[in-house]
Amino acid sequence: MMNHKTSAYLPGLIWTLVRTDFKTRYHGTLGGYLWALAKPLTMFAVLYGVFSVIFTMDTFYALNLIVGLFLYDFFSEATRTGVLSLHAKAFLLTKTKFPSWVVALTSVSSALITVVIFSIAVSGYIAVFKRPLSFLQIGCFSLYVFLFLVIIMGIVLAGSVLFLRYRDMNQIWDLMLQAGFFFTPIIYPMDIVPHKFHFIMYAWMPTVVIQFSRSVLVRGDIPSLTAHLMLAGSAGIVFLTGAVLFWRLAPRSMERL
Amino acid sequence: MVALEAHEIHKSFFIPATRMDTVREYMLNIFKWKHLFRNHRQLSVLSGVSFFVEEGETVGIMGRNGCGKSTLLKIITGIYQPDRGTVQCALPITPILELGVGWNPELDAIDNIYLLGAVMGLTLRELKTATDEILEFAELREFARLELKHYSSGMAMRLAYAVAFRAVRGLLIVDEVFAVGDMEFKERCYRRLEEIRREGHTVLMVSHNFVDIGRFCDRAILLDNGVIVQEGSGPEIADAYVHSLTGG
Repeated sequence: MMNHKTSAYLPGLIWTLVRTDFKTRYHGTLGGYLWALAKPLTMFAVLYGVFSVIFTMDTFYALNLIVGLFLYDFFSEATRTGVLSLHAKAFLLTKTKFPSWVVALTSVSSALITVVIFSIAVSGYIAVFKRPLSFLQIGCFSLYVFLFLVIIMGIVLAGSVLFLRYRDMNQIWDLMLQAGFFFTPIIYPMDIVPHKFHFIMYAWMPTVVIQFSRSVLVRGDIPSLTAHLMLAGSAGIVFLTGAVLFWRLAPRSMERL
Repeated sequence: MVALEAHEIHKSFFIPATRMDTVREYMLNIFKWKHLFRNHRQLSVLSGVSFFVEEGETVGIMGRNGCGKSTLLKIITGIYQPDRGTVQCALPITPILELGVGWNPELDAIDNIYLLGAVMGLTLRELKTATDEILEFAELREFARLELKHYSSGMAMRLAYAVAFRAVRGLLIVDEVFAVGDMEFKERCYRRLEEIRREGHTVLMVSHNFVDIGRFCDRAILLDNGVIVQEGSGPEIADAYVHSLTGG
């Protein structure tokens, strides 16, 4: 169908959806919008205190654990919300016409804000109390978060349209996330797993992002260029797969809302 | 110039013998798929609907409940895809299929104006300049910072109308939105609709109200069981609709 509706309104629509969603989330709370800052900062402080002071663990372990927990929490929350995003906005999508991918895109905004604040907090802590971070290290970590977002968007695009056909997709994904939490070396180091199984673990995308982030932030080692290219390539494949699935299924999916 | 042309629109919905909505149901019925799909039925909603709307014209669509009016509007708007046929529209579409689509009761009127307006296609700049005008039309200037959950239904409706009418672009599509509101406010909306028509906008409206169709529409079509049974002037089709209901 030819429709000469201009797309000039899309940036404003995306911004408005993100802003109003953010406002609604913290509306009426005691701390207001400060919760967006307080939640990740407080969690960082609590976890660091628990694993560094109370349990007196190796500082590297504490930082590795925190980086892993936050990044996996970002992945988990963003994909959980994203899978349900089209269904949650059914009242909008069945009564007016605008690109449904906007709904999927903006659904991860809240989780993204949390992880960005956390990233600034943990980078700042390391830079002040451990060792200064170079621009290259900060740039690499920013790249990993961006590629993680690309992966998440691919999963969200695919999951959101599949959920409209298969209404237990969210439960299946929840189970995968729970199993994935223990499959990913978050609470245990990768070294305790026999090397021949590392390839399987790296097939689960959060493992790659978390390991690379730890390597850059905690140990100060930059992974090889080949490793970066493989991560970027994998992120691209996940995103393209999700985008193609969304493009094929979304037009008819509104009839299932 | 033809603003909208719908050509041989066919639409049916698949009604399975047993509805399967989850992966679990598909797995449990894995040996019954052929039987289940063979025993489905197709519910035909639109069969070869063709019509056109000239630029600047107001065309009405009437028909009993379940005749396919809303499905036709959703296909024209692009929410649904036709099984066969095409829709060509030379103008941007502003659909008002329901008032207050996108309302967030936790936010105040101004935030909801931005939310609703953005969904309906207004840019941030347009919304900034239009906010005062919208609040003025809805007579809600003093309640601008009050959360929508504290509004009465009449106040919320006035705000919804105000945003909707402000968001009008080339082709306005309205689906039974004049069925609510008190007489005074309805008259104000009717006057606004007249202004929209005088400004040269094209309007496609669905209504059961034969007075509205007779008053506003240059032409109208009568749908019955997914086919166009009659086309003519607004008053003509309004009469035909009444006769079809009364059997007279």
